[in-house]
Amino acid sequence: MPQADTQQFGIIEYVDEDVIAFPLGLPAFEQETSFLLVAPLKTKPLVFLQSLGRPELCFVTLPLEVVDPNYQLSVSAEDLVVLSLNEQNLTAVGSAKDARVLCLAILSLTDSRPTANLLAPLVVNLTARRGVQAIRLDHVYSHQYPVEAFACS
Amino acid sequence: MLVIRRKAGEAFHIGDSIEVEILEVGSNQVKIGIKAPREIAVLRNEVYLTENQNKAAATAAAALLGRLGAVNKAK
Repeated sequence: MPQADTQQFGIIEYVDEDVIAFPLGLPAFEQETSFLLVAPLKTKPLVFLQSLGRPELCFVTLPLEVVDPNYQLSVSAEDLVVLSLNEQNLTAVGSAKDARVLCLAILSLTDSRPTANLLAPLVVNLTARRGVQAIRLDHVYSHQYPVEAFACS
Repeated sequence: MLVIRRKAGEAFHIGDSIEVEILEVGSNQVKIGIKAPREIAVLRNEVYLTENQNKAAATAAAALLGRLGAVNKAK
């Protein structure tokens, strides 16, 4: 089985089906086009987006519905093409037909407090194994939405 | 913030190397042309904010997990 070297988890084994392609990379990380989704039980509901190319590059994320259960997803037409989706409307929990969709918000620290980027969530088509950071064109959500300290199981 | 009014077809300069021209004015959208050296990034605001957030998030991963450990110990 192929192995990935990671700073957070050490050496992890994976299968090719676990790899999510981000054809555009992420803004400021356009060269990083392959990631693994890592979701250890002991840190649930956190989902880690681990770069395959750089062991030290790992984003901490939360599912959108954990951050804001009423989040209204808005994905541009260009981003839908990257995702190989042709749905006009996606809800936060991913109701696209014939595809499983996962939506995540990247966490950061803003003034030492955890915040989630709701302006540009990660949208992953799990069925096609493709992802994009879908930057909203409206101004409805903040790039630094405060999140409470979340309980883990 | 410097505020100036321009009509379609008019332009302004920023420093010596950047020129901004208002190409078209529509009812809810403005088309803007920007001439700048390649090394100066011109980014829509939401892209600029997301780039900065991603860079901060990339360096915050360890600290975020440290805070999580504190939450778990407190339970």
